[in-house]
Amino acid sequence: MGRKKKKASKPWCWYCNREFDDEKILIQHQKAKHFKCHICHKKLYTGPGLSIHCMQVHKEAIDKVPNSLPNRSNIEIEIYGMEGIPPEDVREHEKQKSGGGKGSDSEDDEPAAKKKPPALLGAGPSGVTPGILPTPMGPVPPGMYPGHMAMNPMMSPFMQAPRMMMPGMRPLFPAASLPTTTPSKPTFPAYSNATISAPPTTSTSASNDPKENGEVKPPAANSCPLVTATGAGSKIVHPPEDVSLEEIRARSIKYRAKPKPDSQPQQAIMPSSSQAEVSPCINFGNCRLMAAILPTLCVFLWVNLS
Amino acid sequence: MTDKMFNHANNSSNNPNKDLEVTSPPDDSVSALEFSPPSVPQTFLIAGSWDCRVRCWEVEASGKTNPKAAQAMDGPILDVSWHDDGTKVFMASTDKTVKCWDLGANQTIQVAAHEAPVKACHWVKAPNYTCLMTASWDKTMKFWDTRTAVPSMTINLSERCYCADVDYPLAVVGTADRGICLYSLEGKPAEFKRVESPLKHQHRCVAVFRDKKSKQPAGFALGSVEGRVAIQYVSPTSPKENFTFKCHRSAGTTAGYQDIYAVNDVAFHPVHGTLATAGSDGSFSFWDKDSRTKLKPTEPLDQPLTKCAFNHSGQIFAYAIGYDWSKGYEHYNPAKKVYIYLRPCFEDLKPKTT
Repeated sequence: MGRKKKKASKPWCWYCNREFDDEKILIQHQKAKHFKCHICHKKLYTGPGLSIHCMQVHKEAIDKVPNSLPNRSNIEIEIYGMEGIPPEDVREHEKQKSGGGKGSDSEDDEPAAKKKPPALLGAGPSGVTPGILPTPMGPVPPGMYPGHMAMNPMMSPFMQAPRMMMPGMRPLFPAASLPTTTPSKPTFPAYSNATISAPPTTSTSASNDPKENGEVKPPAANSCPLVTATGAGSKIVHPPEDVSLEEIRARSIKYRAKPKPDSQPQQAIMPSSSQAEVSPCINFGNCRLMAAILPTLCVFLWVNLS
Repeated sequence: MTDKMFNHANNSSNNPNKDLEVTSPPDDSVSALEFSPPSVPQTFLIAGSWDCRVRCWEVEASGKTNPKAAQAMDGPILDVSWHDDGTKVFMASTDKTVKCWDLGANQTIQVAAHEAPVKACHWVKAPNYTCLMTASWDKTMKFWDTRTAVPSMTINLSERCYCADVDYPLAVVGTADRGICLYSLEGKPAEFKRVESPLKHQHRCVAVFRDKKSKQPAGFALGSVEGRVAIQYVSPTSPKENFTFKCHRSAGTTAGYQDIYAVNDVAFHPVHGTLATAGSDGSFSFWDKDSRTKLKPTEPLDQPLTKCAFNHSGQIFAYAIGYDWSKGYEHYNPAKKVYIYLRPCFEDLKPKTT
């Protein structure tokens, strides 16, 4: 009986606690995720193998197994599939699997592991459309946005519009005189939450309207927010919004085209200055809004200009 | 967001690499940094800043810097470019204009305008023409002869320009949709090739490199917000020539996560063809793309590196530290001073194999 039970437990990866149906897949996973040389992408067989490869071939020391959990990053332990896992960790894992289900770790790890496949997909060749990704939550109601963004970055291209509808931002939408301070605020709570997983550097591609997009290389528009190479173990230090740091920075009041020290103040007038009427996209102050309005505007602009 | 970077500040010196400090640095983060071209005998350094000013220093052989002049624009500066004759500097601003600063007369005049902040400006010197190339968040790139108020040419970009570099006859523009477009400036600017992005995250900086033998532009290095740089050849003889490498990532983990920082700038050494990257993690690194090795890692500073530059002879490496907004507004600390450092770099950037 006991034997049988043991058989039933799935192979799992010591480095990231992810479970697999088949040890073969596990081994493939380890080669691809944990034993791949970051320089030449050669897949090695074990941690020490990778370490030796990097040292000898690239003369670079690797001190940690890539994409591993912090306490499982030891590169010196020789693990291949399920072989070589320290017995105490095996026991621990078993305990978590069977014991009460709510093992502190297993709960955490499971979703993390589940989240990864979308990330992988997303990060893959850029042809993947976000729509097909099995995001756990699907499009999140706008209200939930700040908290969940980090976990569900793939939604970004489609979420841009709903984002616009966020309370407090809506009134700004139609107005050309949009740049007030409020819009930038919501970003930041999301940002701090983003520590949970790799912050999605989501694509602002929402601002491309399909036509424009089509002119370019269509698939590339959707950048993949989750860091594949990093998955559970890392995060990008960047605001969650996939907008350049300069655009984000330029939104803050401090940096709105300010008058020269000696000239008359125009700061207050700036947003609603005459150009604003022509095209709010001139208002660099608020790129997020721009992102949503741009398609319309640009068409407008093009028409206007031509 | 554990502030590894900021905690450091309290107990380590601001200048762990013992480099030379530029006097009277800008009051806010440096957004553009360029040394004077070989046409002038002295060495001048120009820095554009978020404080809306562009400053000019003369750099003596000793490394001593003398502030020479400064000019202001109506918005933060996003880019600067030297005229090839070294008498003028172009300054691109969020105020949607580009001004030409005549250093001799210390006067500025507007030479270009866009519908949105101008992210990049580059002076183009071709055998048969000269012009100013500007690229903006208004999704256009324009070419100006600097004497007329209308551009001599406008090219639509697929998205907002995030980074651009020019080395005649090649221009590379990276856009917000992770687009990369190459332009040939020969005769008349024209789109040459669109390249599938080798990177999976937002493009942040780009620099053209030259072929070692022919000294002609051969490709470019592209940095992303995900601590990664791609080396791409314009016409690779084999796809294996193109590769990417990781950089500017925390060695350890903070609170269980490895931090991955943006590559804020990338620059090629004018003599050795090796390159430097400047990261949001507060460090810079020197690399040899041909042997695919890191030449030199450095001690991280207590603030992000926002820009870096080599002087034309490749003797001086300049880098600027200041907040880059990578942790959002709430981590902006105006009390933290901006610095620009200079270091002798000729030896450090020699390729390993020679």
